[in-house]
Amino acid sequence: MVRGSRAALSSVQSGLDKALSDFLVCPFSKHPLRLCKETHSLINDELGVSYPIVDGIPCLFPKDGKLLKDKDASKPCDSVSSSREST
Amino acid sequence: MRGCTLFRRRSLAKPYLLRPFCTDGGGSVGGGGDDFQSSRVKIFDRDLKRTHRDRAAWLMRGKDEFVDSVAENLLDRLEDCKKTFPVSLCLGGSLGAVRSLLRGRGSIQKLIMMDMSYDMIKSCKNAEKDMPNNNMETFFMVGDEEFLPIRESSLDLIISCLGLHWTNDLPGAMIQSRLSLKPDGLFLAAILGGETLKELRIACTIAQMERDGGISPRMSPLAQVRDAGNLLTRAGFSLPGVDVEEYTVRYESALELIEHLRAMGETNALVQRCNLLKKETALATAAIYESMFAAEDGSVPATYQVIFMTGWREHQSQQKAKRRGSATISFKDIQKQFGSSS
Repeated sequence: MVRGSRAALSSVQSGLDKALSDFLVCPFSKHPLRLCKETHSLINDELGVSYPIVDGIPCLFPKDGKLLKDKDASKPCDSVSSSREST
Repeated sequence: MRGCTLFRRRSLAKPYLLRPFCTDGGGSVGGGGDDFQSSRVKIFDRDLKRTHRDRAAWLMRGKDEFVDSVAENLLDRLEDCKKTFPVSLCLGGSLGAVRSLLRGRGSIQKLIMMDMSYDMIKSCKNAEKDMPNNNMETFFMVGDEEFLPIRESSLDLIISCLGLHWTNDLPGAMIQSRLSLKPDGLFLAAILGGETLKELRIACTIAQMERDGGISPRMSPLAQVRDAGNLLTRAGFSLPGVDVEEYTVRYESALELIEHLRAMGETNALVQRCNLLKKETALATAAIYESMFAAEDGSVPATYQVIFMTGWREHQSQQKAKRRGSATISFKDIQKQFGSSS
């Protein structure tokens, strides 16, 4: 319950609708993306690419993606499946 | 992916002609330092197209009759389906027209709008407040049709109104669309066909021959009608359907035609385009266009050929032709059976 509401809160803060983020995947690998609420971006840990969310609009255009420099630091243990709601 | 490339070459004659002169973009094409497109033919400059669409976002006039009638024609097909489409994706092109003309058709509950251009999506988002929502939630995102960032088997409907003819890899984009559809999901697309702006093509060629002593590609190669069916089958859609409509738009002058093209974001984005256009040549083109094609009342017509494509993702419930030679009953017996009863 607490976890659920926290997840809802985080999606409000980053301005991205949870209902939309369920449909989004990485344009290259087609794997799910992790929402990072601190940097307002969607992150693909596998490729180490982040896509910005500008004003609630996720920009998943290939050229908008930025390579993450500190690939290892940004990668938590339980990366892909359960981590969409937390960082 | 090699298969796609081969198909594309065979189906579109003009890209093939252009190919020997193309410098392959290599890793820089796909962005992010990868080699996704290195083996593909690059015909269109997608970055330039993105800029065009940014410009179109603020050039767009409130109402565009041509775009509206294409969108209306496309959406009309939703009324022919008994199925409802709870989750739908609207791809780039004339997003605004699709959104405003939807009017609850297809019983869409969630509509995701996607375009290459952030400005275009932003203007759609701003316009959203004034639209009747018909119990529909709308979402906005920026993305590339060639790299569709949508989860597999998650959509019921994909609509693309006048956008896909700018993709370098049309079969690839269509295959990705099919994969993101649920089984028995519908793919609806309208693209510009080869007869589009034939008058302008002629006028450009004559003016350039006359003033510059040679020609450069000013117009994009477009798919022919016969290719559209092949494209649908190649992308693996079942029950493919293609039909064509020609629209003639009348302008006050040839220059107004160019303004309209800019407002639609449909200006030249060929990689092999000539960046230089002399004012003299441009004016000569307009003069030739008007002298050759103007109607008696002084209006200037332009032809747009729109190809409408319909395809479904395969599903058991869909009708399918049996394998050749698999029949076990003779036609004579059928005739006996039904001929006697009637």
